[in-house]
Amino acid sequence: MSDKEKEEALSPEQSPVQSSVLDEGPPQVVIEVDDVNFSYVKGKEVLRDISMEINKGEVTAFIGPSGCGKSTLLRCLNRMNDLIPTAEITKGEIRILGTDIYDPEVDVIELRKHVGMVFQKYNPFPKSIYENVAFGLRIQGVNKKSTLDEAVERSLKLAGLWEEVKDRLDSSGLGLSGGQQQRLCIARTIAVQPKIVLMDEPCSALDPISTTIIEELITELKNEFTIVIVTHNMQQATRVSDRTAYFYLGNLIEMDETTKIFNNPSEKETEDYISGRFG
Amino acid sequence: MSSSENKEADGSSAEESGQFRNRGFKILGLSKQDLIRIFFGGNASVAIVVLVLICVFLAREAFMFFPDHHHDLKAYRQSGQEYVDFASDEIKAHTNLYSSLNIAYFAEVNRTAKTEDTILRAYRALMANLENVTAKTWGRFERDLDRLEDVEDDLSDAKEDLEELDPEAEDFAAKQQELNQEIESLSSEQSQLTTRVEELREKLKKEVDLVIDSEEVWNMGVGAEEPPAESKAKLREAVLLSASPEIDDEPEYITGLKAVSKEKKAKAAEELSDFKDTVKAMQASIRPLKSFQSELRSIASKNKSEIVSFSTAAGRKEAWEKGAQNAATEEERQRMAAEAEKVVIKEPDYAALNQPFYESLGKHAELIAPIEVEMAQLYAQIPSKKEVQTKSAKENLDRAAVFYERFENTVSKNREEIKEWRHDKPITVPESVTAFLFGRNWISNSSWHDFYGILPIFTGSFLISIIALTVAVPFAVSAAIYVNQLAPHREQNFIKPAIEFIEAIPSVVLGFFGILVFGETLRAVSQVEWLQWVPGFPMAERLTILNAGLLLAFMAIPTIFTLTEDALNNVPQAFTENSLAMGASKLQTVFRVVVPTAVSGVLAAILLGFGRIIGETMVVLLVAGNKIKIPDFTEGLGVIAQPAHTMTGIIAQELGEVDQGSLHWRALFMVGMVLFCISLLVNFAAQKVLKKLSKI
Repeated sequence: MSDKEKEEALSPEQSPVQSSVLDEGPPQVVIEVDDVNFSYVKGKEVLRDISMEINKGEVTAFIGPSGCGKSTLLRCLNRMNDLIPTAEITKGEIRILGTDIYDPEVDVIELRKHVGMVFQKYNPFPKSIYENVAFGLRIQGVNKKSTLDEAVERSLKLAGLWEEVKDRLDSSGLGLSGGQQQRLCIARTIAVQPKIVLMDEPCSALDPISTTIIEELITELKNEFTIVIVTHNMQQATRVSDRTAYFYLGNLIEMDETTKIFNNPSEKETEDYISGRFG
Repeated sequence: MSSSENKEADGSSAEESGQFRNRGFKILGLSKQDLIRIFFGGNASVAIVVLVLICVFLAREAFMFFPDHHHDLKAYRQSGQEYVDFASDEIKAHTNLYSSLNIAYFAEVNRTAKTEDTILRAYRALMANLENVTAKTWGRFERDLDRLEDVEDDLSDAKEDLEELDPEAEDFAAKQQELNQEIESLSSEQSQLTTRVEELREKLKKEVDLVIDSEEVWNMGVGAEEPPAESKAKLREAVLLSASPEIDDEPEYITGLKAVSKEKKAKAAEELSDFKDTVKAMQASIRPLKSFQSELRSIASKNKSEIVSFSTAAGRKEAWEKGAQNAATEEERQRMAAEAEKVVIKEPDYAALNQPFYESLGKHAELIAPIEVEMAQLYAQIPSKKEVQTKSAKENLDRAAVFYERFENTVSKNREEIKEWRHDKPITVPESVTAFLFGRNWISNSSWHDFYGILPIFTGSFLISIIALTVAVPFAVSAAIYVNQLAPHREQNFIKPAIEFIEAIPSVVLGFFGILVFGETLRAVSQVEWLQWVPGFPMAERLTILNAGLLLAFMAIPTIFTLTEDALNNVPQAFTENSLAMGASKLQTVFRVVVPTAVSGVLAAILLGFGRIIGETMVVLLVAGNKIKIPDFTEGLGVIAQPAHTMTGIIAQELGEVDQGSLHWRALFMVGMVLFCISLLVNFAAQKVLKKLSKI
């Protein structure tokens, strides 16, 4: 693919996510998890019989006590678990945009371009702010200055960081504050225009003020991306998410509208957890 | 509330109030904790103290070099040796020029008979080889052959006797029987010997075949094409002929070849007679200067010994006097006192010593001027590079051009310097320092004058290090990247210990491996036809800068590898994860995220590897060839095929043989000091880089 073609493919006007967000139809399913079992070590399953659907343009929160498998499921969605040699899906399939992502034909690299991820610990590369954001495009072979400039500016604006850093794009990304670094990581992730953004406890290492900023950012970003967020903080789940899934010991106990889960859960276990009786 | 108040207030709580007091034993008011602390702290400070002591003593010995050196340089000037060396330099420059032209000339002449010479060389090699292989069989064969002849003679004598035997004689029957018996035994011996001789002949033939079939001899004509099959067959025949026991003369084929070769060379020499005459004329032109220089040289030598004897006189006198004081017997004492009396301390008259040189000033100018003119004329006459055909001739003409320029420069520079030259011109301190740091000669134990210029050994060390680094860095860094980032677990577990094991090989073992195996292989490889484009190939030497550089590279690889691997390990896993999550491939992640992050650690690894290389002694001492001379850079990159000496090597080699406290001794310490400073700088740089790394 030439640079020009890529440019077109990446330009916001033609992005399928954008165009579909504009038409207000019934919710469109982008991620289908169909009866999935998963184990890190053979014979010890950490996820059992998980089935769920995640809608386009929504924020879905995964909650549950430590070790319940919510992060594991999240990492299954962009196959980050591939890094562990013995980890495998033992049953069922995960379809993203209609494709079974564990099909041997699937190119993991292509998948990850569409399913971006923000980690718990903010970790910009030891490069300049500009290069951090441009990284994803550069590895796709985009080197045209104007395209990169545009993408960097757009992503930083989306991440709400532009005003703060526009005068020092060439200084190190490590010189920013914690909250700014996390937003830089978000900008880096969205610069390649993924369709889905996975967030693994993005605020757990941040102070309350930075957390608020990130939460606001998430609310804004859902106009453009489908977001899946893992969180320990139930208030956060209520603040940012449209739908919430509650996990317990590797099982999906309940998944529903966030308001319903927190006000009127159908399962007893969910109620126990959200009311703080355990966890 | 203090404890005493407490006691007053409530006597029964006295025990309780003491429970926070330190009840452990104490020595000199120090608790057990303090003692342990002091023990460990003391151990640490011993290292520091030793380091400081080493620095101080090294520096003291080393820097005492400069006053001594200053003194020595003064003697060099006052004795007129400096003046004589002006002429020596001119002669040396001239010799370089002349000999490179001479080599070019002979390369051209010999080229014409290259095929013949190759065959002849192969013939000689084969014959030499043959002699070795067949010597034993040959000896037995000759002995048996002689014996066979004797037996045959005896046999025919016996037969004759038998025929001449008088049948009328009374003891006829007995004699006939006797003779018949003799004939019988002789003929049985004859048949035995004949079969043995035949057997040995067969064996010899086999051995000859064996020698001829060994292909090695053909590799002796370096760079020459293999002769055609037809001449190979002929050569084989010739060898067989020479090897056959009955023929002593040289085979015709060989004599023929010799004649052809001689004729061709003569013809070429005739064609190139102008070249030859030019070279000869050049050789002749310098003669007057040479005899002039050798005359002055002997005067300067005499002056030098006078000056040296003056400078040591006081010391000698003192030594005798001291000996006299401590003498055991009266007789001894008197003898020593007399010796002391004999030592005269009288400063030589430097002006008088140098009188002959001042007088010769005019003559030198008179001699050199026509030489310069003649050389310019002669140099213009030598063939151009286009006119010669062999590689060697072309190279040597190139070198001659450089040498000619050097000769001219030397002459014109000397003209100025001779004008300025005064035997009593003082030597400044910077001069004695630069004479060390930039001196082009390191000559010790010379009958003329010892020069201590670090440049030859520094260049050696430098070149070897450069080669070692250029080879080691790519290997070690890529191996580290592979092992740390790309290799599967099983390979990691194998490669890492294997590379780290290299570090455990004693360098002296690597050294003799370098001499016996590596050097030989390298030389053999350098003679492969299609590798002749490599600068410096074919290599005449086995112990070269290249060989030492490659071995040192091998030694530096584990150091660089281990440290680079550590640096890569220090890159947070999160970077890799993030990069992968962005859709980067494994390779993109490695080269765009991991390696750039670790780059300062890699740099530090390289610097420490350099420190290892420059400080290595044993390998370079064994393998570098130990020729104390600035490598000849006129050969371009081919310089790596020359032998060299190094700073570490020279210390190891010469320190055992010098007088303690002599100038030479101090010079070696000074070399050590230079090495110390280089290592210090390298380590300092590595620390700086590492500090930068830890900031990330």
